[in-house]
Amino acid sequence: MKRLVSIFVWMAIAALGAAALSTIAFHRGEPINATWFVLAAACFYLLAYRVYSAFIAAKLLALDNTRATPAERRDDGRDFVPTNKWVLFGHHFAAIAGPGPLVGPTLAAQFGYLPGTLWLIAGAAFAGCVQDFVILFCSIRRDGKTLGEMARDEVSRRGGFLAQLAVLAIMIILLGVVALVVVNALKSSPWATFTLAMTIPIALLLGVYLRYFRPGRVLEASFVGVALVLFVVVAGQWVADSPTWSRIFTAGGVPLAFAIIAYGFAASALPVWLLLAPRDYLSAFIKAGAIFSLAAGILIVRPQVLMPPLTRFVDGSGPVFAGKIFPFCFITIACGAISGFHSLISSGTTPKMIQREGHARFIGYGAMLLESFVGVMAMVAACAMTPGIYFAINSPAQIVGATPEAAAATISSWGFPLSADTMTGLAHAVGEQTLLNRAGGAPSLAVGMAQIFSNTIGGERLLSIWYHFAIMFEALFILTVLDAGTRVGRFMIQELGGRVWKPLGRMNWMPSILLSSAIIVAAWGYFLYQGVVDPLGGINSLWPLFGISNQLLAAVALVVATTILLKMSKARWIWVTMLPMAWLVTVTMTASYQKIFSSNARIGFLAQANAMAAQMAAGKIAAAKIADTERIIFNLRLDAVVTAVLAGMILVLLVEALAQWYAILSRSRELVLKETPYVATQWAEGD
Amino acid sequence: MRMLPERVQNTLRNFWRGLRQWSGDSAYETYLACAQRQKIQQPLSAAEFYVEQLNRKYSRPNRCC
Repeated sequence: MKRLVSIFVWMAIAALGAAALSTIAFHRGEPINATWFVLAAACFYLLAYRVYSAFIAAKLLALDNTRATPAERRDDGRDFVPTNKWVLFGHHFAAIAGPGPLVGPTLAAQFGYLPGTLWLIAGAAFAGCVQDFVILFCSIRRDGKTLGEMARDEVSRRGGFLAQLAVLAIMIILLGVVALVVVNALKSSPWATFTLAMTIPIALLLGVYLRYFRPGRVLEASFVGVALVLFVVVAGQWVADSPTWSRIFTAGGVPLAFAIIAYGFAASALPVWLLLAPRDYLSAFIKAGAIFSLAAGILIVRPQVLMPPLTRFVDGSGPVFAGKIFPFCFITIACGAISGFHSLISSGTTPKMIQREGHARFIGYGAMLLESFVGVMAMVAACAMTPGIYFAINSPAQIVGATPEAAAATISSWGFPLSADTMTGLAHAVGEQTLLNRAGGAPSLAVGMAQIFSNTIGGERLLSIWYHFAIMFEALFILTVLDAGTRVGRFMIQELGGRVWKPLGRMNWMPSILLSSAIIVAAWGYFLYQGVVDPLGGINSLWPLFGISNQLLAAVALVVATTILLKMSKARWIWVTMLPMAWLVTVTMTASYQKIFSSNARIGFLAQANAMAAQMAAGKIAAAKIADTERIIFNLRLDAVVTAVLAGMILVLLVEALAQWYAILSRSRELVLKETPYVATQWAEGD
Repeated sequence: MRMLPERVQNTLRNFWRGLRQWSGDSAYETYLACAQRQKIQQPLSAAEFYVEQLNRKYSRPNRCC
């Protein structure tokens, strides 16, 4: 009887999911309600978890709850700490959930809501969750080894070195791009700049309290810190209203970029307890609160999705970024469907804290489903605003014009009606001087979130507060990624430097700390500066570069996973990791090729550089702008080289892996699986 | 608190315990319990443990994009 009920319930979920998916896929004409998106995603995730993850757990990985995990065998109360599965799920989710699933879907909304939504849902179930789950499993079976170590042990030494190098390169690009998102969100906004600037003294206060007064009392300090942050969000309005203070906190792109570069250096070089850790606490609580509120807001308000399912920009002529759905929708969505960076978390802290192997399914597969759901919510928030407003916020001035009148005329001519008054009125309502040309995804997402929040609580009156709350939330946790990433990058450079000259490898030696911090900050700062001075807003060229590098890292993770599974004699089920890997390699290689060689100057780095060089040779560039143009041409060529190097590294790794796979399948070489030996758990079933 | 049914009390207690573990608020207690189990003579002080734990945590990727 129980089984019958279960079958009935799952069939009902499947039917409801199919109905919701068909509705969002085939609905045309009138706006569609966001509830269909939530239903489609929730039903699909439930089914994927119930069926596909159970299949992977049983057939592919054969999770074994009788086997002691690293947390049990090496329990030291520090790194290896057996942790309740719900708590670890929260830990893991807080670590993997970054700005990517918010910004990516917002940018991809230029194609319409359909391509991005379908990829978010299907990509997570069949690629992203699989990667996170399998890598977590592989790391658990190897005492919590990192992706780089597993690549070295299971693929080849060269493979391991390439994977480590790829991680460093990807981190540099990632940090530059996310910093650019923050700059574009704060530009000319005294309210947002003040709010974010104030989080630094608040974090310092918390840092000193937690270090000297109540060591480790994170909760009480965080509650006070969050209250102070919410206060400065409100106080930002007073700053914006004061002519003197408003002038002090109004900054252009370049000064903001240098301020963020200086912040990154400080966070990397200062003691971690002083600035970085307390900011992370604030960010974690605000992130959890904002994501929960957005979900609740969407369910309460049930907004209409005004963006059409497909826009005219599927042909590759989009104003937000150029390129067709294939491959650029997948490159742009990135983290909401599959993120290579997750493999670093799945082979980092989480495997050292897991109590039972069986929990890997819930934590690895389940947390990524939740991340994908965040991406779907971001898509809803972006598509619930009037499409004309969406394009006005996200398009660069060079394409739509710099004044409300020019932007309204251009965007209306595309078939998305917009008046100049609408943009001026909206900017005024959210307490900004302008919302035009704010590429990067953060401001438009903030407008979408603010509209949903203000329809839930406060109405129009609180729109400006909600907008700045959303901006603060995005900027705060982007900066957390930035400072934590800079510090990790510093350690990687110190480690590499130590191979050249031993003292450089000493983690506590101040000259080495300062030098390596300066190198990593200069590296991502260069990409940030390049984006800030880019006449097309930077996001157009840098976000695809970030997407390509992130997806390439995911391909690396799936190459490693496939190799390990082949060594485990799981060739029969190898398509589970091999198909998403083949898809990612196809997508990233196509995107890399197009970004380097496309003859369309809006897509190809080299074509754009050549077009600018030709203009300069023809004397069409004003004398005052020649130096700037030369720099932009250099940057475009550099971007082409970076893309080629990244793609080349992955191809070499793939060739290494293919040689391994051939050897495994032809049994031409003895292949050793480097798992830790089986040790039976000492814990009873319910522990 | 006494007015609440036992089940609700347990749920709230579990939630609070989970929140403390998730945020790192109870990390030192966990460490002390482990040190006691492993009979470590001189465990780290709360301040020493806090700094040592942060240095370890932020030396590897722990926040994603």
